[in-house]
Amino acid sequence: MTDATSPTPSASVPKKKGSLLVADERTKKRNTAEKRFQAYGIIAIGIGLLFLIVLLGSIIRNGIPAFTQAYITVPIELVEEKLDPNGNRDPADLRKVSTFGYAPLIQEGVLRAVQDAGIETELSSPGDMKALYSASAPAIVRSMVLDNPELIGTTIEVRLLGASRVDGYLKGRVTRESIARDKKIDAAHLDIVDQMVELGMAKRVFNWAFITGADASESRPEQAGIGVAMVGSFFMMLVVLALALPIGVAASIYLEEFAPQNWLTDLIEVNISNLAAVPSIVFGILGLAVFIQFAGLPQSAPLVGGLVLTLMTLPTVIISTRASLKAVPPSIREAALGVGASKMQTVFHHVLPLAAPGILTGTIIGLAQALGETAPLLLIGMVGFIATNYPDGIAAGFLSPNSAMPAQIYEWSKRADPAYYERAWGGIIVLLLFLMTMNIIAIILRRRFERRW
Amino acid sequence: MDDLRIIERTTGMNDIKVSARKVQVYYGDNHAIKDVDVDIEDKTVTAFIGPSGCGKSTFLRCINRMNDTIDVARIEGEITLDNENIYDPKVDPVQLRAKVGMVFQKPNPFPKSIYDNIAYGPRIHGLAANKAELDEIVERSLRRGAIWDEVKDRLHAPGTGLSGGQQQRLCIARAVATEPEVLLMDEPCSALDPIATAQVEELIDELRQNYSVVIVTHSMQQAARVSQKTAFFHLGNLVEYGETGQIFTNPSDPRTESYITGRIG
Amino acid sequence: MEERHIQSAYDRDLEAVQAMIMKMGGLVEEQIINSAKALEIGDEDLAKKVRETDRLVDDLEERVNEEVARLIALRAPTAGDLRTVLTVLKISANLERCGDYAKNLAKRTSVLIHMSPIEGASKSIRRMAREVELMMKDALDSYITRDADLAEQVRQRDADVDQMYNALFREFLTFMLEDPRNITACMHLHFIAKNIERMGDHVTSIAEQVIYLVTGEFPDESRPKEDKTSYASEEGAI
Repeated sequence: MTDATSPTPSASVPKKKGSLLVADERTKKRNTAEKRFQAYGIIAIGIGLLFLIVLLGSIIRNGIPAFTQAYITVPIELVEEKLDPNGNRDPADLRKVSTFGYAPLIQEGVLRAVQDAGIETELSSPGDMKALYSASAPAIVRSMVLDNPELIGTTIEVRLLGASRVDGYLKGRVTRESIARDKKIDAAHLDIVDQMVELGMAKRVFNWAFITGADASESRPEQAGIGVAMVGSFFMMLVVLALALPIGVAASIYLEEFAPQNWLTDLIEVNISNLAAVPSIVFGILGLAVFIQFAGLPQSAPLVGGLVLTLMTLPTVIISTRASLKAVPPSIREAALGVGASKMQTVFHHVLPLAAPGILTGTIIGLAQALGETAPLLLIGMVGFIATNYPDGIAAGFLSPNSAMPAQIYEWSKRADPAYYERAWGGIIVLLLFLMTMNIIAIILRRRFERRW
Repeated sequence: MDDLRIIERTTGMNDIKVSARKVQVYYGDNHAIKDVDVDIEDKTVTAFIGPSGCGKSTFLRCINRMNDTIDVARIEGEITLDNENIYDPKVDPVQLRAKVGMVFQKPNPFPKSIYDNIAYGPRIHGLAANKAELDEIVERSLRRGAIWDEVKDRLHAPGTGLSGGQQQRLCIARAVATEPEVLLMDEPCSALDPIATAQVEELIDELRQNYSVVIVTHSMQQAARVSQKTAFFHLGNLVEYGETGQIFTNPSDPRTESYITGRIG
Repeated sequence: MEERHIQSAYDRDLEAVQAMIMKMGGLVEEQIINSAKALEIGDEDLAKKVRETDRLVDDLEERVNEEVARLIALRAPTAGDLRTVLTVLKISANLERCGDYAKNLAKRTSVLIHMSPIEGASKSIRRMAREVELMMKDALDSYITRDADLAEQVRQRDADVDQMYNALFREFLTFMLEDPRNITACMHLHFIAKNIERMGDHVTSIAEQVIYLVTGEFPDESRPKEDKTSYASEEGAI
């Protein structure tokens, strides 16, 4: 009976659970776990943001210089005896004078300008001046003269494209130390450039030529632009849009709404998902084999590029279209069937309009993906081709050889001259702007369509 | 003395509209409906009640061949509408569904204007020759749906902007617009509040003047309130079918009694 | 009760059972009047008609029960509707009892016709029946108009009926003491008077149902009770 006296709590009185004002052990543990998890999340987002900032920062820092360009403004005397020995301004005769005829005039003009401006330099031969301006200068002056033969015999102010070294020097890419072993330019040239800048003869201005121009040869990076590649990309996107959207949407509607559920459709479904994961270079090789070697389509043409990218984009379009078709509530289908609409009327009158925003978004994302794709273009020859001219006409736009923006960037980044490296970054900025525009269009379209709900 | 007999129990006097004989439905291997025989009268509200999964909705969907859209569903037996077998290979389900309208559990107006919601059915079936006729159909249907007064000033506002009860009445008006002969309703009030439910029930009672209405409901009280005849389904069988008052006051099958008194679910 | 239900069928159902009650009330009133009249003028055909009418009343009561059960099962009435349905049920039972008493009156009339009449008795009974019939009329009116005041008046008037019965009771007692040959007739007449008094009680009950229907509460037991015959002794000391 000893335990009867011990203070055991009686079974009928339930134990008190403790106050609500004091958190118990388990609650505390749970709360800390929750806080810890939130901290992980914030850290993860922070890391992501950091990477994004670093990436964008380096793109902008490296790419922005490509949008400015050094120019040297000098008076050049267009000597009549050299340019038009017959003196009759006959265009046929004028054309006979090649850029080699213009080169000495420019060299002399620059030298005279340097001397007239009182720039002190030990360089005294006209040939030494070549290092200052772009090798494209004679061609530019020549085309000016051919356009306007009246200029012959006069002295005109010409804005010459600065040589890439001079350009680099003004942007800080090229320094006196870095040119120690450079054969193309000497410290003496840089002295001239310094004084020219002081006198206002050499200047950095916004580089429209980079955005509108064509690619240039390896030795003239100052002349290279991304404009023609942009046109190439544009035509490719037209092909992709015209093919991937209707084919993709039709395929998904059939699979989602009409196809019976059996092993064959299952197989197709699995394979579409697989296709989306196939490396893009595989599509490139397929394009090479089928479109160029078998079908005989022209190499390097945006049409072929577009076809290849269509193959690559189709799975994305199909998957996103099917997802947005699935997202349309079944009640809408039932409602339409319930009032006696046929299956096709149901799909086209009700399901498709509701799925349109999703389809559009998916398609634009697919397009953006295709726009940035390089690997398949390698194999069909859209890389390495130096496009110097805009295509003349729409048919030529599809069929004549061209490059594409990412291919152009890839091409530039492989070239030796560091000036090209800068242009590659600049090209990336243009490409990103393009993608951003497309995404904004996607968002706007989606918003507009969604308002109909 | 019979003038006092106002309470509706005037069943058994109407023509048979829909008749089912030995109907079996299989979902894959699952035998969902077993041997159902039922005669649904014209100008009568017939309620299907029963616990969840008893097959009442499945059977309802057989009547306008909505089950056709489900690949694994297989239907045997015969269902006739005005003595024509609706499962005859010559019958086009689209045509059938114009005659047998359906209203669903969740109000599902199209995301279009109120006007277009109603006009859609008549348009695809070519019921209106011109705009004036279509306007007339829309007004008539909305009036039958007992919602005209509430929406007549905003016919071009989106149908999805209405309240739940209004949406459901809009859906009923939409079903009525194609001039069906039978109206199937699959738990039409389960997403509605009591007042909206009462309004829809009142509407169903009015629709009885013109249509044969079949309503599936998991609310026994609703079946009691709106229907003249009630069918009790249990585990895929039609256990009892009879006059609603009789089913609810004196059911003949012990399973029915257990169900309506809340002893089996 | 002025507002309509959203479901008009519910209104129709409620109106239907109440209409049955009114029909029943009309029949029972007619029975009371006719049975008393038959007693006074010794009209056996009229008495027979009263007995036949009772079958209709019984049928109606059965129908009311059936419809009320249906209504409860199908409509699940609440609040005022529930009180309406419950009172319908009780009033119909009260009316049916009244009908039975009237039938019993008619039966006894058929016997009394062949006996020597008791002077003045049938006149008094008819007056009493008349009073009960008027009470019933008012009670049913108060039901239709949902008039609790009128119902309360009806309730109070039951005292008059009780007093009439007291008077008759003493009268019959006197007749029987005077001449034992009167006993059979007087016993019958006494039962008739007692039955009419019971009808009065049923009418009072109807009035109470009306008060409950309107106010939601039953009236308290302050009703004047004038039926003191339960304490009667041969000495006439009441």
